[in-house]
Amino acid sequence: MSGRSLTLQLSTPRRVLSFSLESHPPIFLAPLLASNPQSIHQRSSFSTTATLSVRANRKRDGNPHRGESALRRTGLRYPNGMSKQPLPQPVLDPKKRSPIIVDENHGLWGFFNKNRTALSTNKDSDQRGRPWTVEELRHKSWEDLHSLWYKCCIERNRFATEFKERKRLQLGPRVYRPINHDLAIRQTQAKIKHTLTERWYAWQEAWKVAENDPEVNLNAELDTPAYQPSALEDEEEVDEKPQAASGAA
Amino acid sequence: MKPTAALYSRLRRLPLTTKQVSNGFYKGTGTGAMGRHTKHGGYVIEWRKVRTYVVPEQLKDCKLTPFVTMQMRPSKGRFEGDPKGALSGEAYLKRWKIENGID
Repeated sequence: MSGRSLTLQLSTPRRVLSFSLESHPPIFLAPLLASNPQSIHQRSSFSTTATLSVRANRKRDGNPHRGESALRRTGLRYPNGMSKQPLPQPVLDPKKRSPIIVDENHGLWGFFNKNRTALSTNKDSDQRGRPWTVEELRHKSWEDLHSLWYKCCIERNRFATEFKERKRLQLGPRVYRPINHDLAIRQTQAKIKHTLTERWYAWQEAWKVAENDPEVNLNAELDTPAYQPSALEDEEEVDEKPQAASGAA
Repeated sequence: MKPTAALYSRLRRLPLTTKQVSNGFYKGTGTGAMGRHTKHGGYVIEWRKVRTYVVPEQLKDCKLTPFVTMQMRPSKGRFEGDPKGALSGEAYLKRWKIENGID
């Protein structure tokens, strides 16, 4: 600190004291305000020893990246091959960004709802109903039951996806309302299994009955019908079209 | 240390580990094997064990949903006093004669 600034600092407090304290900063800040800002900066180090020169410091390692830091944004010490290329600038305005192209028919859309949103609203989920009953499924064909089973699988996948997403977003109990839709779907699937098991047992029973039935030839050739109605009036009832309802046969 | 009864009951609710039981406990992942191990340390895939998923061809045209509307009451089967109910072979054969009769 130079002698001139010292004298300035010593002389200023008396002047400051004469003013009222309310409109001015406190007294202890007076030397800071009165002195020249540049003069308070330290010009030389306090240490009296000579600074360690680069050549004299033999403990220096040969690390070419010494001092490079991503946190302090120092950049590289030496230019590399990419130095002449301008860095890509992030587009902060979302409107100027190029749109993300997504395949409309991608299979992973099956994990989302119809609106393709991450979460369904409560209104959507309220529109679901009850599980199927066995009696309703007894009148369905094998193909229908097969398709319904896969529809159940898809719906369960959707539900599990949403459940995970709700958990990940940590939505509170007000937003997150656990509904036993998954249980209802699994009940439907159980009913499908029930129906098919019933059909299988009925088919086994029917085979035993047909063995003692004179109208049915179980060892018939492929081109001849297995059912030969004895009475003439029964022939009109025979439907030639194979129905899918007897798919288990 | 022997845990108190309350602590022990808490412990019972945790899944079983291999450390708690003697040998023979196989935890697994709920999935079956796809093959078998050979005596040389290899693994042979047995294609009869590999799962195949047959997706129905008319799945996209299927209009059935996993849920039935709440406005429809759950229906019950009526078998007209048949004690066998849906398992009746006679009823199955009768329907087969009417609807199919070929195969």
